Amino acid sequence: MSVTQLHPAPRPAPTPAEVLPPALALVHVDKRFPGVHALKDVSIEIRPGEVVGLVGENGAGKSTLMKILSGVYQPDSGDILLNGSKTRFVSASDAMRQGIGMVFQEQSLLTNLTVGENIYLGNEKQFSRFGIVDWRALYAAASRQLEKVQIDADPRMRAEDLDFAARQMVELAKALTLEENAPGHLVILLDEPTSVLERAEIDILFARVRALRARASFIFVSHRLDEVLELSDRIYVMKDGAVVADLVAAEANVTQLHHLMVGRSLQAEYYREPLQVPYRDEVVLELEGLRHAGAYRDIDFKLHAGEILGIAGVIGSGREELTRTLAGFAPHDGGKLIAHGKSVTLRSPAEAVDIGVGYIPRERRVEGLVLFLPVAANITLGDLGTLTKHGLIDTREEKRLAQEWVQKLRIRTPGIHTLCLNLSGGNQQKVVLAKWLNAKARILILDHPTRGLDVGAKEEVYELIRAVTAEGVAVILTSDTLEETIGLSHTVLVMRDGVITHRVGAEPGHKPQQVDLIGHMV
Amino acid sequence: MNSIIETIRTDGLRQWLPLATLILLVILVGAFQPAFLEVNTLLQLASDTAVVFILATGVTFVIMLGGIDLSIQSMASLSSVAVALTLSRFGYGAFVFAFALGAVAGLLSGIAHVRLRIPSFIATLAMGGVLYSAALVTSRERSITLGDSDRAYLGWITGTVFGIPNVVVIALIVLAIAHVLQSRTRFGRYSAAIGAGEPAAYASGVKVDRQKIIAFVLSGACAALAGIVLVGRLASGSPTLASELLLPSIAAVVVGGTAITGGVGSIWRTLVGALIISVVRIGMTFLGVNIFAQNIVFGVVLVAAVAITIDRSKIPIVK
Repeated sequence: MSVTQLHPAPRPAPTPAEVLPPALALVHVDKRFPGVHALKDVSIEIRPGEVVGLVGENGAGKSTLMKILSGVYQPDSGDILLNGSKTRFVSASDAMRQGIGMVFQEQSLLTNLTVGENIYLGNEKQFSRFGIVDWRALYAAASRQLEKVQIDADPRMRAEDLDFAARQMVELAKALTLEENAPGHLVILLDEPTSVLERAEIDILFARVRALRARASFIFVSHRLDEVLELSDRIYVMKDGAVVADLVAAEANVTQLHHLMVGRSLQAEYYREPLQVPYRDEVVLELEGLRHAGAYRDIDFKLHAGEILGIAGVIGSGREELTRTLAGFAPHDGGKLIAHGKSVTLRSPAEAVDIGVGYIPRERRVEGLVLFLPVAANITLGDLGTLTKHGLIDTREEKRLAQEWVQKLRIRTPGIHTLCLNLSGGNQQKVVLAKWLNAKARILILDHPTRGLDVGAKEEVYELIRAVTAEGVAVILTSDTLEETIGLSHTVLVMRDGVITHRVGAEPGHKPQQVDLIGHMV
Repeated sequence: MNSIIETIRTDGLRQWLPLATLILLVILVGAFQPAFLEVNTLLQLASDTAVVFILATGVTFVIMLGGIDLSIQSMASLSSVAVALTLSRFGYGAFVFAFALGAVAGLLSGIAHVRLRIPSFIATLAMGGVLYSAALVTSRERSITLGDSDRAYLGWITGTVFGIPNVVVIALIVLAIAHVLQSRTRFGRYSAAIGAGEPAAYASGVKVDRQKIIAFVLSGACAALAGIVLVGRLASGSPTLASELLLPSIAAVVVGGTAITGGVGSIWRTLVGALIISVVRIGMTFLGVNIFAQNIVFGVVLVAAVAITIDRSKIPIVK
C-alpha cells in the first residue's frame, strides 16, 4: 500500500516516460466560487501515455478540476503546465487547439446530425474550399477516425441511430481528431464515460483507451471505483476541494479509496444519528401497487409522519421516476397513491403542493430557486395564499416571515432582499427548505439534497432534516451515496429494474451494511 | 420605499439609465425649443403618450413573464372599428363591448400559447393577422368617422379635469391599477418568478399556465382600451388606426429597462420608456424628421435598448 501525502511527493523509481516532462500538470491551483472554496492548492500531473484516475465524492472538486483542465474555467491562482511549459486555456476551444480532448458524461453528440458531421463539428474548414464542404473527404476522414476506436459505424448514419455505447465511442473518436489538428501529445479527459455503458461495452472502451496510450494520456473520472482501479496507472483522490492522496493503482483497493474519499471516522455523528427519533404511527402517504409504464411497478409502501424513507438504486432502477411522480411531474398510470385517506393522481407540482408535498430538487439552481428573485420572494413562493388579504400580498408580514426563516435556519445572506443568485450552495438549499417549511409541507421529497455542497453545509442540512422530521415532517430521500441514504434513513428501500427488491429498517445502532444493499441493487 | 432602495442597491446604475436619459432628452429639447417646457406643451406630450403607454402597459405584463404579444396594434385598431360601428346602437355599451373583445382575443392567444404549446410570438402574430382582417372586413376597409350624435359619448375621453386632459387621467388610472397588480398581487409576483425562472416557479406549485393566460388577457384588454382612447381623440375608427404603434410600444417597455427576457421590470419603467419615446418623437418633429421615417429611429432605439439592458453573460444562447 502506498498512500503518499502530496507534499513532498516521493514517487516509485523513474520509468523512461518519467524522464519526459509531464504531458499536463496543475501546480498550486486555487479556485473559488461565491461561498465555496472549490479547489484548494491542487497540484497534479499526467505523464505521457499515462491513465490517471480521479475519484472523490460529489462536491469534492472533480468537475471544477476537469473544467479548468478543459478551459471552461480559469484558475484564480496557480499554473497549468503543458509538456513542461506554462500555458493558459482561455476557452474550451483554446484548450482543444492545445491538445486537450474531452469526452463528456452527458452525451454531447447532436443526434440530428450524422456521425461524420458530429466528429468534425466546428472543424469543417479543413474540408472546405470557398465555403463549400467536400463531404466525400469529410466522411472518408471520419471513417478513419472511427477505425481508430474500432467501431463498425457508417459515418453517414445519424447519431440518433446509434446505441449509447457506440455514441460514446464516437465521442472518443471526435476527441482523437485532435491528433491531426493539435501539435504534440494529447490529453483526453474522460468524464464518467462508463455511466451509461454495459460491462461488455466498458471492456471495449477500456481496450481502446489502452491501445491509444501511445498517442494520448488520459484522465479518467468515475464513481465506479473498481473501474478506476482497473483502467488507471495512478489515482488521485480528492476530498473537499483538495487532493488528499496520490496512489499507484496496482497497489490500491476499493475500501482504501473509499475511506480516503469519505475520510471520516465518526460516521454516526456525521449523519446526526443520535438525533434520529422513532417515527410516528400516523401514515401520511400510502402507495399501493403504484406503476408507471416503463419506469416502475408494484411499488407498495407506507410513509409515516417523522419518517425518513431512503430509496436506493442505480440509474434505471426507477427510483428517479418514482420521485418525480410523488413531486407531481409525471403522474402514475396504475395503482393507488393515497394521501389524507383519498386516492389522488398528481398531475402537476401544484397538485402535489396541495396534498402537502414539498419538492427539493437536485437541480437546485433551476427547479429549486428563482435565482433572480430575492431571498424573501423565494421563501414565500410556495405559499403566497395565506399572505394575501383582499387580493393583496401583505408585504410587511412577508418580510417578517422571511426574516424569521432566515434566523431559524441560519441562512447566511446579506439580507432578505438579496438575490438568491448571490448565496452559496448550502444557503440556497436552506432557502429551498425554508420555502417548504413556510408552506407547511408535511412530506418533503429530497432529491439528492446535498449535491454540490461542501462538508460543513452538508452537516447543517443533515441537522435541519433531523429537526424537521422530529417535528413530524416525513421525508422521501434519494441520494448520491449509499452512505448518506443509510446514515439518514429510518427505512431503506432498494429498487432494481423498476421494482422494490429489498426493504430494511435503519434504526440507529442497527444500520444496514452497504454491501447488503448493493447485492439488491445490481 | 424600502424596496425601492433595495432595488437600487441590487441593480445599481443601470436602473437609473432610462430616467437619466429622459431628463437629458427633456433638457435637450427644451434648450432647442423653450416652448416645449410650457405647461400646455407638457400636457399635450402627456396626452400623446397615453395611447402608447396603455399599449405598452399591457405588453409589459406579457414580457415580464417571458413572452411577447405582437397582436396589440391590430387589437387596438379592431377595437376602434368595433366602437365606431356600434356606438350609435349601444351607446356607452360600445366601449364595454370593445374592451371585452380585447380580453377575449387575449384569452384566445393565451390559450393557444399555453395549451397548444405554441411560442407566444407565433400565437400572437397569428392572432394579430386574424384581428387585422376582422377589422378590415367589418369596416369594409374604410375609416369610419363618427357623427355628431356619436361624439356625445366621447366626453369622458376628450374632456378635462381641473385642466388635465381626461386621456392623461385614464392613463394614470391604468398606471395605478397595473402598479398594484404587479407589485402587490400574487399574479404580479408569480409573473416575475415565471419570467426569471419558470422551472422553479412550476416546481414550487405555481400554476404557470393560468398566470400566462391572465397576462395575455390583460394585454388584449389594454390594447382594446388604447383603441377606445384613439377613437376618442380622432373621432373615428379605422382598421389601420393603430398600425404604427406596435414598434414604439415594445420599444417603450424595453427602453424603460424591462428585460425582454422576462423577470425584471416594472410599470414605472414602462412609463419612463413611453415618455422617452414621446419626447424623441417630438424632438424629431422639431428637427424636421419626416413623420414616416420615425419608425426607423424607434427600430434603432429598440435594438440599442435591448443590447444595453440585457446582461448577455447570463444568456449564452438567443433564439
